[in-house]
Amino acid sequence: MNHLSTTTAFTLHASGISKSFTCGRVTTPVLHDISLAIRPGELTLIAGPSGCGKSTLLAILSGLQRPDQGRVTALGQDLETLDTRALERFRLQHTGFVFQGFNLFPALTALQQVELPLSYLGLTTQDVRRRATQALEEVGLGPRMKLRPAELSGGEKQRVAIARAVAKEPQLLFADEPTSALDAANGQVVIDILHRIARERGTTVLCVSHDPRLVSHTDRVLAIEDGRIISDYPPHLRPVSATGSQEHSV
Amino acid sequence: MVALARQTLIHEWRRFLPAIIAVGFAGLLQLLQTALVLGIFSSASLYITGSTADLWVGYPGTQSVNLGRPIDAGVEMRLRMDPDVLKVEPFRWVDADWRGARDTGGVSVFVSGIDAGPQGLMFARVLPTALRVRLNEPGAVIVDRADLGSLGVNLGEAATINGHRVRVVGITSGLRALGGVNVLASLATARQLDTTATADRITYLVAKIRDPSQADAVAARLGGASAFGNYAVWTAEHFTHRSQTYWMFDTGAGAGVLFLAAIVFLVGAVITSQTLVAAVVGSIREYATLNALGVGVAALRKVVMEQAFWVGALGLLGSTVLACLFFVLAHYYNVPVALSPGAALACLLLSMTLALVSGLAAIRTLRHADPTSLLR
Repeated sequence: MNHLSTTTAFTLHASGISKSFTCGRVTTPVLHDISLAIRPGELTLIAGPSGCGKSTLLAILSGLQRPDQGRVTALGQDLETLDTRALERFRLQHTGFVFQGFNLFPALTALQQVELPLSYLGLTTQDVRRRATQALEEVGLGPRMKLRPAELSGGEKQRVAIARAVAKEPQLLFADEPTSALDAANGQVVIDILHRIARERGTTVLCVSHDPRLVSHTDRVLAIEDGRIISDYPPHLRPVSATGSQEHSV
Repeated sequence: MVALARQTLIHEWRRFLPAIIAVGFAGLLQLLQTALVLGIFSSASLYITGSTADLWVGYPGTQSVNLGRPIDAGVEMRLRMDPDVLKVEPFRWVDADWRGARDTGGVSVFVSGIDAGPQGLMFARVLPTALRVRLNEPGAVIVDRADLGSLGVNLGEAATINGHRVRVVGITSGLRALGGVNVLASLATARQLDTTATADRITYLVAKIRDPSQADAVAARLGGASAFGNYAVWTAEHFTHRSQTYWMFDTGAGAGVLFLAAIVFLVGAVITSQTLVAAVVGSIREYATLNALGVGVAALRKVVMEQAFWVGALGLLGSTVLACLFFVLAHYYNVPVALSPGAALACLLLSMTLALVSGLAAIRTLRHADPTSLLR
C-alpha cells in the first residue's frame, strides 16, 4: 500500500487481517491477509460486489468483530487488548455508525433519537440538547426534529441516523451501505453529508457500498473481491471501471 | 435522559397491552382470592373478633372456636377472684339441627348461647343492644339476613332446634359462619337446646380485664392454676390467630390458595414475558444500533426492566381499580371479603415480582442485539 505513505497520521490500521466463518463442517474464508491504513479527514469507500467480505472488513475495523488473525489499531489503540466492555466504551467515545436500515425507534422524535446515545456520555441535559440540535441542523433537519420516523421520508430517516452517529463527535465514522435503501437524489445528499463531515471535522469516514454512483463523491476507493484488496486509488485519478484490476494506482 | 422505555410503552401500547392485562388480571385474581379466603376464614373467628372480651378460657388444646369442649363452670370463680378481671361471661356453643318453618330438611346450625344483658361481651361488635335484649324472651333466636333462605324462616316465624321450638326475634348481618349457620340465643335458651348440657359445664368463659394491654400477662397468670380441672386461657388475639391458622393450614384450604396463587403467577409470567420478548424482538435492530454506538448491554437491560416495571405498574393500577369495584359488589351481596393493607400489599408485590421476573426473562433476548447482524 505505498499509496498511503503520506505525511498525515493514520487513524485506522489493519495488518494481516484474516477471517473465516464456520457453518457445520464447512469453513468459508472471507478475508485473506488484508492490510490497510486509513487517514482522517477523508471519505474512504470500500467497494466490491456483494459477498466479497467488505461488511466483515468493516465489522473488524470498527471493533464489532474480532479477526481470526491480524491486528487492528484504531486511534492508536490495539482493539485486540480491549474486552467487550472496554470495546463498548471505546465505541461510545470514538465511533459512530450508520447502517443500511435506519434503525430508528418508532416512538422517538428525531431529536430524541439523536439525544439517546448522547445521554450515555455523561453530558448535561443542556449539552445533550445543544449537540443533538446542532447535529440535526447540520444534516438539514432543523425544522423537522420534532417528527417521528413514520412522518419522515427514507432520506430524512437516514439523515437522522447520520445525526445520531455524528452528534457524539466521533473521530471514526463507519457507514454500511448508507445509500442502498435510498433513491439517487437522496443517496447523493447522504454521501455528500458524509463527505462534508470528513472534510470539515477531520473525521475518519469509512463507508462500505456496492453502489457505483458513490465512487465519484469519495476521496479514496478500496476495491475488494473475494476477500482481497484488488485496488486502492483516489477516484479522480482512476475511472470507476477499475474493479478487477490488480494494479495500484499511484 | 430520553425516556425510551416509557415513550415506547405509550407509542406501542397495543403491543404491551396483553402484558398489562396479564399482570392486571394476575393481580386482580390474587387480590380477590386473598380477600375471599381471609373473609371466609375470618368468619371462623367471628365469635372472638365480634366480641369485646380480652381473654378466652376453654378446653386445653382447642384449635378453633368451633371445636370447643366443655370446661368446669367453676373456673368462673377463679377468674372473678383475679383483681385485673372486670367482667366474666359464659359462652355456650351448641352444634344443633334446625328445621325451618318451610320445608328445608335438616340444617346444621351453631347455636351461640350468650349473655343477653345490655352490657354483654359476646358479639358486642355485631349485635346492637336493642336486638340483644330481645334474646331474653324464652326460645328467642337471632339469625343473619343472608341465612334466611337456607333456614326457611322470616322475622317473627317459628322453627325448631334439636326438637325445641324457637322464634326468630331479630335479624342482623355480619354473622355468617364457616360450614354452617350461626344462630344467637340467650344462655338459658342455648342450655335448653343442648341435649347434653349440664349446669356445671360450659364451653367457654370470656373475660374483660382492666388493662387490655396486659392481656398476655393476665392470661399467663390465670392459665397457671389447675384448681378447677383442665382449662386454658388465651388472649382474644391469640385465639383468633389459632382459629384462623387452623382453618387456613390444617384444613388444606391454605395449600389450595397457595397452589392457585402459584398457577396464576406462572400463567401471568408466561404471557407477560412473551409480550416483553416480542417487544424486545420488535426493536432488536434499534437496540443493536445503540450497542454499536457504544451504549452498553447493561444499559439496554435497564430499558427492558424499566418497561417491565411500567407494565407491572399499569397492570396493578387496573387490578386495584377493578378489585375495589368487586369489593363494593361483594359487600352489597353479603359475600364475606376481608383484606388487610398488609395482605393487599403482598398481593400487589407478588404481581410486581411477576412483571419483573418476566422482564428478566425478556432480557435474555437482548443477546440477539448484535451489531454485526446489522452489517449482513
